[in-house]
Amino acid sequence: MTEVSAPSAARRLAPALADAIAHCMRDDPRVFVLGEDVRIGVMGPTRGLFEEFGPERVVDCPISEAAFVGAAVGAAVGGLRPVVDIMFSSFAYVAFDQLANQAGRLRYMTGGQVAIPMVLVGSAGAAGSNAAQHSEVPTALFLNAGGLRVVFPSTPHQAFWLMRAAILSDDPVVVLHHPALAAARGTVGPDALGLGEAAVDPPGDDVSLLAVGLMAQRARAVARALAAEGLSVEVVDVCSLNPMPWERIVASVEKTGRAVVVDEGRLTCSVASELAAGIAERAFDALRGPVRRLAVPDVPIPFAPNLEAAVIPSEDDIAAAVRDLARA
Amino acid sequence: MVRIRLFEETLAELYRRGRLVGVVHLSIGQEATAVGVCSALQAGDQITSTHRGHHHMLARGLEPRRMFAEILGRAGGYCGGKGGSMHVSAPAEGAVGANGIVGGGIPHAVGLGLAAKRLRSGHVAVAFFGDGAANQGVLYESLNLAALWQVPVLFVCENNGYTEFTPTDAVTAGESIAARAAAFGLPATPVDGDDVLAVSGAAEQALERARAGKGPSFLECRTTRWRGHHEGEESYAKPYRQPVEAVDPIDRLERALQAAGIDLAGLRTAVEADERAGIEKALAAAEAEPEPPAERAFEDVFA
Repeated sequence: MTEVSAPSAARRLAPALADAIAHCMRDDPRVFVLGEDVRIGVMGPTRGLFEEFGPERVVDCPISEAAFVGAAVGAAVGGLRPVVDIMFSSFAYVAFDQLANQAGRLRYMTGGQVAIPMVLVGSAGAAGSNAAQHSEVPTALFLNAGGLRVVFPSTPHQAFWLMRAAILSDDPVVVLHHPALAAARGTVGPDALGLGEAAVDPPGDDVSLLAVGLMAQRARAVARALAAEGLSVEVVDVCSLNPMPWERIVASVEKTGRAVVVDEGRLTCSVASELAAGIAERAFDALRGPVRRLAVPDVPIPFAPNLEAAVIPSEDDIAAAVRDLARA
Repeated sequence: MVRIRLFEETLAELYRRGRLVGVVHLSIGQEATAVGVCSALQAGDQITSTHRGHHHMLARGLEPRRMFAEILGRAGGYCGGKGGSMHVSAPAEGAVGANGIVGGGIPHAVGLGLAAKRLRSGHVAVAFFGDGAANQGVLYESLNLAALWQVPVLFVCENNGYTEFTPTDAVTAGESIAARAAAFGLPATPVDGDDVLAVSGAAEQALERARAGKGPSFLECRTTRWRGHHEGEESYAKPYRQPVEAVDPIDRLERALQAAGIDLAGLRTAVEADERAGIEKALAAAEAEPEPPAERAFEDVFA
């Protein structure tokens, strides 16, 4: 494996995912891509790969999620390193046995005799009136399934480095990307980000604002806005969820004494719930008020634009929660 | 086949005496399919199997001692006691493994075949599954992928007449399972699954084809489940006690060899005595194994 040269390039998020896959495919002939419409790369993460690597390594599949996720498990056991693009991560429900019962279990059940070095990449979140079956953020389901690494980058830099780390990992890794962030701009810098790391930006002293995916982008905007009001908000972008960067999270909360967690999943047993519980267990003595959870209420994501906006935490919702807690 | 029979009968007895944990699905009466197919395999080939998979594993050459140890939940089992009866796995010995989910291992064989093709290893993958899996969508998705990709995979449907606690005919439409597979444009053949020579002949032909790069094949091996779905229940076991004798794969092989003029004087008795001694020794060694240390429960989740 050659060391990747520092990209230091302006990039949008989805192409940064494709860049990382291409880097790994150039370095390692075992890496290949399969999934739905990967030749044209309709969702972004595989766009342009077919032109460079051809049909042997960029394999269009029928709409048979269980079979191609299962084939990826077998291919991984057999010595390849598949990257599966499942388009919408909620399509993984169709393949959930292969993901949860197979990819996430086989290493354990065989007593460590096999490794499953595969990546499952899919979009997560509302892109605008796709309604409930194409707008989910199922992060918590993947985390609770067990045996799966999970990352959710919110910037091009995170996207490049976390996708690369996912492909290099010998574990099954779910890489989520938000459709509303696909065109998000940024610079892919030379500082590698690995599984289990959080991205703290900006640092702050008054309130820790922990967020994932699109919510992390909103959290950064809120932090900038509240700085003008004299509130110093530290945003911890929890872009790696398994491994969970607890040390970084706890350090932030111990510094500020206040935590707001924001997640685009449904509230019950959400990432927000896990973060809140984990903070309460690990940093209770530092807390100056209750941990606040912001998430989607326990309803599906609705179709009409105004209804969709109403259930997903907005910048106003986040700012209000931070102000409220800061006064506590 | 004799080893499998004795291994499974030993488990039935252990279950009866309350010395097994968990659920155990025995393959008594289905030995010929496993032995016929696995006799056509080479080192480096891989099989995926099912909840009823002891016969596949033993036919692939796995050791009875480590099989017993796994089924008893001991440290020396193939999976260190973390798989158990339904999930014995030994990839290094060409058995990626059994699978507790009906149909779960089928797409893995397609992926293993894809890896063999891409890495030009010359190996093949065999997916063993039952008639129950013939009603899982993932089988047909996998057949489609295998046929499209022309991967070296042999699909072996072991049709033992019962889908868990229900006669297969009552829940399976159409002419036959093989006929369903034929729709994907690959050779799909019904085989007398109790005739080990017929099974090995069909498997050899299919595997030769696969190794020559000509793609996947499908065998529907028709056999009979002698026991209930699992030990401790006999909902469909009893009515089959009588007719099964006629289709006993071991008796049938003996008769076929005699008809071919081969002198078997004393051979079966000698084989049975030899295997019985081996099984007893294997069980004693497995039972003497320690339990897995407690910390093993927290290991092997991630690489």
